Amino acid sequence: MKCAWNELLDILPKRIAGEVDRLGRDTMQELRLRVNDSPELVCGSGIRRLQEKVTVNDLSFCVNAASRYSPWAAASVSQGYLTVAGGHRIGLCGEVVRKGNEITGIRNATSLCIRVARDYLGIWDTNTSLSGSIMILGAPGSGKTTLLRDAARQISEKHTVAVVDERGELFPTGFVRGLRMDVLTGAPKASGVEMVLRTMGPEWIAVDEITAEEDCCALLQAQGCGVKLLATAHAGSLEEFRSRPVYKKILDNHVFEELIILKSDKSYRVERMHKWN
Amino acid sequence: MELKLLGAILIVAGCGGYGFSLCTRYRKRERALSDLVRALDRMECELQYRLTPLPELCRGAAQDTGGMLRKVFLSLAQELERRVMPDAASCMACVISNEAITYKQLRIILSQLGKSLGQFDLPGQLRGLEAVRKQCILELDALNINRSERLRCYKTLGLCAGAALAILFA
Repeated sequence: MKCAWNELLDILPKRIAGEVDRLGRDTMQELRLRVNDSPELVCGSGIRRLQEKVTVNDLSFCVNAASRYSPWAAASVSQGYLTVAGGHRIGLCGEVVRKGNEITGIRNATSLCIRVARDYLGIWDTNTSLSGSIMILGAPGSGKTTLLRDAARQISEKHTVAVVDERGELFPTGFVRGLRMDVLTGAPKASGVEMVLRTMGPEWIAVDEITAEEDCCALLQAQGCGVKLLATAHAGSLEEFRSRPVYKKILDNHVFEELIILKSDKSYRVERMHKWN
Repeated sequence: MELKLLGAILIVAGCGGYGFSLCTRYRKRERALSDLVRALDRMECELQYRLTPLPELCRGAAQDTGGMLRKVFLSLAQELERRVMPDAASCMACVISNEAITYKQLRIILSQLGKSLGQFDLPGQLRGLEAVRKQCILELDALNINRSERLRCYKTLGLCAGAALAILFA
């Protein structure tokens, strides 16, 4: 298992970084910081709380340190998150800044949710059929991104894989990349898929968290070009996945042949998609 | 007699040297301000084209400057990378106090620059840099008023003061 733990500690206020390091180094999945509340460590074994209260300055420090004091370089703030070196993701809540109907940023952050990126090598079952596109389903925190990362890496041992990494958390600096892998970082999924499709000639395209209809359209287009897809989506079960109107297009067009459903204990089962269509 | 002559020469040379050192200091101030303007220009271009993060921006600025300013920008980049201070303004304040900048106007301008860094989105940041650049140019203009007369004056006054003192002590 690989984790850029020190990069995470670097963005925490020094007075809580030590305790977080002591309690969460091996098992922490999330760190939640809320103003006037104690830091909450979500670990594999349960939730732990620290003594210290979080202040507005603590959150401001975290945001500044994560963006390297460069708000302009962290355009994703307007979408409510920041990706830190090492692939850790900080979700932001606070007062939204708007210009007309467009959200341009978040000022006075009041809550942060820091999700720890951990890279597990070899968790993907290499016997999984690669005859068609694969969708990984799971509830939040079930390990979709982690599995996708290893799957993309292992598939790229034999096939050309283009990874569209919108949030820069799939293959940050320091994480092992695959043999025949190209990573496009920072591009929105829909336009990113189109870009790699046109320019990189991939056999597989990997994207994390399909959430919008335009993402589904891009996947459909890629499938039409004969590219296989490896994607993840938020859904605790197949029924939940099928009930979401946003995924109707990819279901109707049989884009995915294999479904991998992650369970809360991080294990998964593989299902053939045609059984339900 | 020889000692008196030697003393007189030393006094004239000392006072004249002081006059010349004032000229050098004046030129150093000019150079520092011009360097800063050039660094700010580069920062603006970098931001517009590459959205470069602040630590790299400061390292780039250090390449465009020399002497004290180079040290300031390098220290600022290091301070930002250390991620101890809550914001860029505090980092700059810390650097200014550590580097002991004697030129007061430059200290004020750098402090103003620090307060403008890392606070706003791209257009805001560019406006902030532009404001600092204008401040530098105003200061350069002020230094340029009667420049040659002033420089000649420093040298002449130094030498004359030395000569006057030598005559007085003789």
